[in-house]
Amino acid sequence: MDCNTCDVAPTVVLNKPDVVNVTLTITTKAKEMLDSAFDGDMSHALLVGVLSGGCSGYMYDLQIVESTDQDCQELTVDGFRVLVPNASSHLLDGIEIDYVDRLMGGGFKINNPNAASSCGCGESFS
Amino acid sequence: MLPVPVAVVNHSLESEPMAVIKLKSYVFIVRGSDRLKFIDGLSTNKVEGDCCTVFTTRAAKVIDMVDVIDMGEFLALVGHEPFKNDVLEHMQKRILGQDIQIGDASQNNSVYLSTTDLEVGNSVTKRNTWRGWILVAPNSEKINETMDLEDFNEYRVMNMIPHQGYEITSNTHPLACGLGNLVHEAKGCYIGQEILVRMRSRGRQGKELVRLENPVENATTTGKTHSLAIVRRIS
Repeated sequence: MDCNTCDVAPTVVLNKPDVVNVTLTITTKAKEMLDSAFDGDMSHALLVGVLSGGCSGYMYDLQIVESTDQDCQELTVDGFRVLVPNASSHLLDGIEIDYVDRLMGGGFKINNPNAASSCGCGESFS
Repeated sequence: MLPVPVAVVNHSLESEPMAVIKLKSYVFIVRGSDRLKFIDGLSTNKVEGDCCTVFTTRAAKVIDMVDVIDMGEFLALVGHEPFKNDVLEHMQKRILGQDIQIGDASQNNSVYLSTTDLEVGNSVTKRNTWRGWILVAPNSEKINETMDLEDFNEYRVMNMIPHQGYEITSNTHPLACGLGNLVHEAKGCYIGQEILVRMRSRGRQGKELVRLENPVENATTTGKTHSLAIVRRIS
């Protein structure tokens, strides 16, 4: 392969999805768990993102962060600062963040009206 | 009654006279710090550098088999030209916020498959793969084709090598079309993984690629004395 030709290889025009102004809700149980996780430090934010991968193509990414390099929209939901990356906003509009309290498969869950299906473990969706 | 297979896939290349064929291929250039992780998360094999891997749908059907060539600063993905748009669509939907840039070097390069280790110039990228040597050459570099399609098919039948458009189609899953060697058993999640893992763990692969003595009904590739076919597995 001639790397000179690679360097001038035309960049493929990618169809980027439109940025959507996200609305989301947090269930009472999830609020309790987030209260406990934030421990009163509301300078932090809940980052709700999507990564590619997983059995179904997309995986949720939930983190408590001080800040992020990602281009995000910032929401305030029930007193929590929530960051949603614009790149994945089209996949997250209308979601509900829930917390499921059980020994196996418990933890934060995302109920997503945009997901056609999700994998067995519930961590990825398409 | 089903014909009895004379061989199943093992992908050990039998010795061959030197022969080269130009493949109908695309060459994508994938740059960005997330390039390996990105391709790894979308395909069946463990992608840590040079390798061959398969993009699959959620139903584990093949989108394309690609040779991944690690060029240091970027990856070159070499796949089958008629499947190019499907692969691009599959990838671009999942870039999201990752550091990934995709370029198309298909117009500048030609892709060849050689059955033996051919001496080539410095501008030609050569990788030894399970199908033979893949050569990616700039268009300025002339490589003589010494094998026609009929010879290539004979080589494939002899070595049980599936090819796009013949055995590798959007209707098959990798385990059925002879690409089981490209389905990593222990890597993390990727699209289609649940189905492929279940097929393997339960021994329910369904169909498999076999080589049969001619004549063969529903052959996917017909050779002089033998043919390739995808048949229901005889357990």
